[in-house]
Amino acid sequence: MSDLLALLSILFLPSLLTIIIIYALIKRVPIYDAFIEGARDGLKTCLEIIPFILGIFLAIEALTSSGAMDFIEKLASPLFELLHIPKELISLIALRPVSGSGSLAIIQNIMQRSGPDSFVGRAASVMAGSCETVFYVLALYFGVTSVKKMRHAFSAGLIGYIAGVFASVYLCMIL
Amino acid sequence: MMNYIWAFMMLTGILFSIANGTISSFTDSLMKSCDDAISFIMALAGIMAVWSGIMKIAEVSGLISKIADAVSPVMKMLFPKVENEQISAMMIMSFMANIFGAGNSATVFSLKAMELMDEENKRSPIASDTMCMFVALTMSMIQLVPITIIKIRNDLGSSSPEDIIFPSILAGIISMIASVTVCKYYERKSSYV
Repeated sequence: MSDLLALLSILFLPSLLTIIIIYALIKRVPIYDAFIEGARDGLKTCLEIIPFILGIFLAIEALTSSGAMDFIEKLASPLFELLHIPKELISLIALRPVSGSGSLAIIQNIMQRSGPDSFVGRAASVMAGSCETVFYVLALYFGVTSVKKMRHAFSAGLIGYIAGVFASVYLCMIL
Repeated sequence: MMNYIWAFMMLTGILFSIANGTISSFTDSLMKSCDDAISFIMALAGIMAVWSGIMKIAEVSGLISKIADAVSPVMKMLFPKVENEQISAMMIMSFMANIFGAGNSATVFSLKAMELMDEENKRSPIASDTMCMFVALTMSMIQLVPITIIKIRNDLGSSSPEDIIFPSILAGIISMIASVTVCKYYERKSSYV
């Protein structure tokens, strides 16, 4: 089953490409011209988001490298204990909403210490697969728009994230 | 809102680095994070340009409106106010790319969708229901095979690295239900656009 899923994942992009090109050939579209025009648009968008990316990276680095994140973890640890969430996972839960690559490093570290098949190791893996980098996505996505008030996007993301964290931990307990 | 969040993050960082006496290494890390940001952009730029190009082909050939038609029943339920079929098509592409683990490509489609939604929202400074629902959905979108994690588990000698696929999908769905419920709740409570 998982082999089949992996195969699907590998084949997705190449087959998408093939379908798009063949369909365009049938419809006699000037493929190359369209590609160049689109690519130009893409680069423009990329240029537009550079300031936002810089801002996000800077603010996240400020929180993590100053030790503020460690402090937040310590502050929150009694609460996590109350909810039966292992303390090894706290730093992951705190960092995951802001940094994808940073949290991946933590996950690797957790699994190295506790073993990938331990409860903590499995919970960390599931969290990586089901909990997104909420704040990062919000900043980046709304960055390309003129939106200043993101309304309930913020709470929806946060509540979804919290639900994902609990689901990851408790599912690993029973499964 | 972003103004305050950003200021809070920066000032908290500076305050803590002073309290911990690590101000000089703190400054170094800050400067290094600018490097990281630019390398991230460079990594994204190529993929972004290529996918925008490919998607332009699909748009000109009419494939995108075909896809949009095919998925419109589901999309109408989640995004009742979307008129522009381009938006639904970009959303679907983004969801698919997410599900099949093509994260960077998914980002490209999502940003394109956000730009189009911004136009439909008449560049208002207040996010539309559609935007909120889309962002909430993308954030909790499941991935069929979390390849990176499976690889890490495998490298660390797990006896069954794929064991986490099913719980991951299940947890993802729970998180998605939570996000969508919050969105639907707020949509009912107050509606713009």
